[in-house]
Amino acid sequence: MFLQNYWYAAAWSTEVGRTLFARTICNEPIVFYRTQAGLAVAMEDRCCHRRLPLRMGKVIGDNLQCHYHGITFEPGGRCVKVPGQALVPPSARVRTYPVSERHGLLWVFLGGPELADESAIPDYHWITDADWGAKGAYFHVKAHYLLIVENLLDLTHLAFVHATTIGNTAVVESADVQFQKGPLRVDVRRLMKNSAPPPTYVRAGGFTGNIDRWQFINFAPPGFVRLETGGCDAGREADPTAKRITLRNLNIVTPETDASSHYFWAQCHDFDVRNSKLTEMIFSDVQEAFLQDVAVFEAQQQSIEQNPDAPEIDVNGDVGGLQARRIVRELLELQAARCQTIA
Amino acid sequence: MQEQPPPTWVDAVDLEDVPEGQVKGVRLSGQFIALYRHGGQLYATSDICTHEYALLSGGWLENGEIECPLHGTRFRITDGSCLGPFGHDLRCFQTRVRHGRIEVALSPEDSE
Repeated sequence: MFLQNYWYAAAWSTEVGRTLFARTICNEPIVFYRTQAGLAVAMEDRCCHRRLPLRMGKVIGDNLQCHYHGITFEPGGRCVKVPGQALVPPSARVRTYPVSERHGLLWVFLGGPELADESAIPDYHWITDADWGAKGAYFHVKAHYLLIVENLLDLTHLAFVHATTIGNTAVVESADVQFQKGPLRVDVRRLMKNSAPPPTYVRAGGFTGNIDRWQFINFAPPGFVRLETGGCDAGREADPTAKRITLRNLNIVTPETDASSHYFWAQCHDFDVRNSKLTEMIFSDVQEAFLQDVAVFEAQQQSIEQNPDAPEIDVNGDVGGLQARRIVRELLELQAARCQTIA
Repeated sequence: MQEQPPPTWVDAVDLEDVPEGQVKGVRLSGQFIALYRHGGQLYATSDICTHEYALLSGGWLENGEIECPLHGTRFRITDGSCLGPFGHDLRCFQTRVRHGRIEVALSPEDSE
């Protein structure tokens, strides 16, 4: 079961064009395309006649024609043509979903359309902001989305999974960590004073000595994890001539099924923002690290499926992840209670 | 009746290091201790949650109760009593302030 009344990132906007593009979002199969005017359409990926996935059909003008018997739907989901008969039954329609395009992403709203308030889409402006250098990517991950969320909220794994890129032992051993919780957010603030810069920081920021490093992580349900990370010459926080870099690592995790996820992420930097080689270098370092994470998520998922009842222990680093899971659990309970009231 | 040996007062941190409404974890003679200031009073308990060994000083102090950051067990800091949902009561320690420093009373068996 997933949270319904939320916007979920379904694709990078550039992935959706005039041909059909399908993705399952929270166990709901959805097919996407653009009208001639360029407006995105998100439609149930199942013909209401014989349930063939509509992604096998084609876009004709602004409409979608099913591959099987040519039944045609307009962008609002209403059937406009049943070949071979003059009459179109009024019940012939497929569900459509509210869509929005923000921060370079195409978002769909899974709950009641009347609740689709675009201002609820979380802020990811750094991805498209001209004051930042940015590059994003998409990973299909065969693991539950909260495994990805909890990974981002516990950065002690950097020292072990990512020793060759963004991690080193300072990340785990000398960090001052604070956890803050709210009803709908979790914040983890990690400070590492006077620590050795990790390889990526040396390459990107040109640091030669120790740095004061920070990692501020924010979680919002269902799967939004935004990180501000950075470093400056150790002990020279107030010095404008000190070397300082700030990075934004932005994660948008959308459940595909109970055991798989769509993982959208982008890496942004606030220095030398027009230097596409630098953007690419930082991106590929983080991508290398994230692919190391994906291997972890998928192995965890397999291990969980192999033995769902095996016990786990929790350690101090888990606070952020556990609080995030608590928020999602409580929201799901609320959602279930509301459904019961309505029924 | 055997007489209890007198406690040893062990120097911890500056009084200012534990502001009103805050919790601070310290390690004294090998013991993990949580120091709290609440309603102008200082309190000290074991810093280790009796449920699953988390450090309570990483949790949240509200209304004289410390909430474990891992699974949400709450303890009353004034007497260490466990308010659930997991675990059992916490051990408490006496505190005093000498020359602006907080001291905690440890019994001889507390020392490593």
